[in-house]
Amino acid sequence: MRPSSQSLTLLALVALLFALAACAQIKALPNLPATHPEELASGPVSCTECHEDQQKGTLKQYAAFNHSRSFIANHRFYAGSDDILCASCHKVSFCADCHTNQTEMKPSVKLGNRPDRTMPHRGDYLTLHKIEGKLDPASCHRCHGRANNERCVVCHR
Amino acid sequence: MKKVLSRFLASLSLAALPAAACAADGSVDSTTLLRFSQDSRPGVSSRTLLPATSFLGLDADKLADGKLSAHFLGWGRADLADKSFNENQADGSLTYGYLQYRFGAANAQARAGRFFVHEGIINEQVDGVSARTDLPYGFGVSAFGGATVHNARIPGTGSDGKGDGIFGGRVNYRYGGMFEIGLAGVFETDAPTMADPNLAGRFGSHRVIGADLWYSPISKVAFMARTSVNTETGGVAEQGYLLTVKPLKDLTVTGEFNDYQDRDLFYSSALFAAMPSMLSGNNLNQESRTLGASASYQIDSKFELTGDYKHYTRDIGKADRFGGELRCTLPDAALRTGGSYHYLRSSADFAVVPTSDASGSFHELRAYAMRDTKSYFASLDVIDYLFKRDIDGKKSALELYGSLGYHLTPNLALSGDLSYGSNPQNTDELKGLIRLNYSMKLAGKGDTK
Repeated sequence: MRPSSQSLTLLALVALLFALAACAQIKALPNLPATHPEELASGPVSCTECHEDQQKGTLKQYAAFNHSRSFIANHRFYAGSDDILCASCHKVSFCADCHTNQTEMKPSVKLGNRPDRTMPHRGDYLTLHKIEGKLDPASCHRCHGRANNERCVVCHR
Repeated sequence: MKKVLSRFLASLSLAALPAAACAADGSVDSTTLLRFSQDSRPGVSSRTLLPATSFLGLDADKLADGKLSAHFLGWGRADLADKSFNENQADGSLTYGYLQYRFGAANAQARAGRFFVHEGIINEQVDGVSARTDLPYGFGVSAFGGATVHNARIPGTGSDGKGDGIFGGRVNYRYGGMFEIGLAGVFETDAPTMADPNLAGRFGSHRVIGADLWYSPISKVAFMARTSVNTETGGVAEQGYLLTVKPLKDLTVTGEFNDYQDRDLFYSSALFAAMPSMLSGNNLNQESRTLGASASYQIDSKFELTGDYKHYTRDIGKADRFGGELRCTLPDAALRTGGSYHYLRSSADFAVVPTSDASGSFHELRAYAMRDTKSYFASLDVIDYLFKRDIDGKKSALELYGSLGYHLTPNLALSGDLSYGSNPQNTDELKGLIRLNYSMKLAGKGDTK
């Protein structure tokens, strides 16, 4: 199913039309703050400790972003559509501690002094990956799929 | 031309370095690690490994009219003794480096340089430009384009399997804070021809479209979904669904379902495309499914208890993983500790060597504690895997990881890590490193971490 040039052109035209129609009103739309206006305490974050859980404009409810273990385990669902909200507290380097293209060492080694942070591949993952890789290869592919990490290539080619 | 464009845009990212010098706001983060170990496995020539690796991150905000910022992160490594890793005595990588202009309204921003794109189903690293903005009536649009960031070549092929150019984008619509739908696509120019016969018919260009959904009809319930279609194979590559329910203020319950079609998902990965055949015969249409649930309960301001369960279904067999975790964080995070237990119950098909008397089942136990004061910080992390059946004659794999450090100044910290392991690869594995961390924030009133 190869996308035809017509469908791509149509998609571009629709996007352009939306952009033009919106230009006049766009200045009235608010910005999220570039950085969180208050210093946050270290450790797990609960947005609702301070924010009333009221919807303003198209902002999703703050309670959805409380950093419970469930939120951390499923953060891909949130980061894909609300990365600007993430960026008000997290620098890009926070994400790049794990999510990077060419990596030099396991994140849990670089941040070996932070066992509280959820880091992949702790312990003897050299043994474990031979089981986990067969169990759920899609989870491997999510980070290593197109990165061709040199340590993977050593054996897997 | 494409190489010239790629190099130009990557060079543009170096503008982040001088920009940092005249920034009104920003931060500098540097971590240098000196690792040391000795490889003296039987049958392998003895090596002394002493790689020094430095990570440098710069963020320079409020440049020019206050809306321009520059961001940089990269690392470099030099081997001070024997070669530690690949054929190079020194190595390095620019993770990202870009200029960003944040407009005054509508969360509009533009980027130029090397950056990551996370938009709906899209996760890419690009040397190029991108822009995004909210639009009236709940709409939003983002687009990016440029050169692909190439990486390690697959041995024997002379290529990393990626095309040279890439572009894509996402349009979305939000209704209040309760509903959002996004449509996204990425198009990479033709993938190179790979000589590997294992990839014939299994590998091709990276072209994907997909959708993501958020629906929260009431504040205690949120449903999220994402699906992607590989336009080259015509198949659904991935489906993921997550339901989050908060029946109590401090209780979060989730249910998830994921379905992956390996051939469609792995199609543009030169590394992964041939793996299914390597693992379990020539069956590229293997379906992977996971079904899971979890519950997190914040007992009080200090303790959080989590339980989770996941069921795995693959053509070669089924497996279950379940367990729990308890975490404790004292006020000001001076002491953080936790412990967890999980058990993976799987058939022999998932074993390292899948024979009739093998097993892929194992217990995982972990406990950690860390203390961070104004003067010193220390941590200990213990992970033990207990195998149901021996792996290479070993019943378990243990790793002890300890770290001790001192804040030389509020911005400068020196620490040392020591780890001991006993596992199927090594009877005794001792590793160490020294870490120097410098972290400085310039006049920032907000929090970035």
